[in-house]
Amino acid sequence: MIFRLDYSDSRAIYLQIMDEIRRAIVLGSLQPDEPLPSVRQLATELRINPNTVGQAYRELEREGIVYVRRGRGTFVAVPRDSDSEKRGLASELAKRTLHEAFRLGLSLEELITAIGQAAANDKEQR
Amino acid sequence: MRPFLFDNFAERELVLSTHGLSRRFGNRIALAGLDLAVPEGAANVLTGPNAAGKSTALRSMMQLTSPKPGSIQIFGLDVAEEGARVRTRIGYVPETTQVPYPWMTVERLLGHQAVYFPNWDETYAQRLIHALQVPRDVPYGTLSKGYARRVQLILALAHKPGLLLLDEPTDGLDPLARDLVLGLIVDHLGAVPTTLLFSTHLLSEVEGLADCLGLIRDGHLVVQLDRERLRNLFHSYRLVADKNWQAPLELQDQILSSSNSGREWEFSIWGRPGEVKAQLEATGARVEEPRHPALAQAVHSLLAMEVA
Repeated sequence: MIFRLDYSDSRAIYLQIMDEIRRAIVLGSLQPDEPLPSVRQLATELRINPNTVGQAYRELEREGIVYVRRGRGTFVAVPRDSDSEKRGLASELAKRTLHEAFRLGLSLEELITAIGQAAANDKEQR
Repeated sequence: MRPFLFDNFAERELVLSTHGLSRRFGNRIALAGLDLAVPEGAANVLTGPNAAGKSTALRSMMQLTSPKPGSIQIFGLDVAEEGARVRTRIGYVPETTQVPYPWMTVERLLGHQAVYFPNWDETYAQRLIHALQVPRDVPYGTLSKGYARRVQLILALAHKPGLLLLDEPTDGLDPLARDLVLGLIVDHLGAVPTTLLFSTHLLSEVEGLADCLGLIRDGHLVVQLDRERLRNLFHSYRLVADKNWQAPLELQDQILSSSNSGREWEFSIWGRPGEVKAQLEATGARVEEPRHPALAQAVHSLLAMEVA
């Protein structure tokens, strides 16, 4: 999986890592019982502090999204309810989009109208 | 009122602390009472303008120059009394890539280093040489700057020190070599618990690495904060307003830096983002959501404030 981080994002880096892993799980690029990259690997790849990656993994474990096998690594948990995973991801995306819209001076109504319009256009083109 | 800029990390375990560190070279004051605190296990970034005293501070820790007055504690030991013992637990990469024995081959230089460090891990050293594609049988002095740096890092890392002192380790390297050096450092931190003190100008490189930031100016520390505090110290605000708009008076003391072009303004302002935004909006300006400053921008704004 490919991680993307944004240092001027309002989310702290460990939260961004958590969101990237949730995204990979929902998209299926990370499947249940597959290993996550090791803390050291991911930290080195992203050139970030290993403690930050460790923090993200610990939080994901606490949320039951991943599980840890001692000495073997961190693995994707079998989702108990993939609908709730999807709702979680949708809510994250909504928050981020809303935040960005407000940043650009758009109102909630303007954003919802535009999303509806974009979805309609998309449907037409298919 | 001024923002809180100096945390002495009194609640944390310190690996290194300096007390009133001072040094002058002729008329030039290099260090003017530096009080630096380095918490255990943290990646500490030390930054500041050229000639601010960063290298002199690191050199003092290695006893390559003697502070007068001032004292340094590392691992709970006084460096002036137990320097040699302390140094066996430090990995140091100096600002320069020159070494005392440039005629030695890389292999011999490693052997030379191994003698001085009881914890030298030869397997790890060889693995790093292999991974970084460093030639073993050429004299160190003939290596390019990028390769010389790799060797210096191997010398510093292979004895798995508790404290790493890196003096602008990526300075003067090409972008690929810089990235490689950074990757090497992060990989090491992932494998061996280490406290890191890293001096640099290139803050965008250490954006994801820095736990704590120290900002040196004119030989003393003007800012010492952990990353979370720094991240929330101030925010940048972009706004659109009338051409003759002026920032509200009650915010004047909180503005660290500003720029303006036509009807757009951009500010760095410290204080609670919700309150600041409301104050700006009360003047009729249209304000975007506040953003966290990048490390480089934070330091830029802090230096601007120091000058003012």
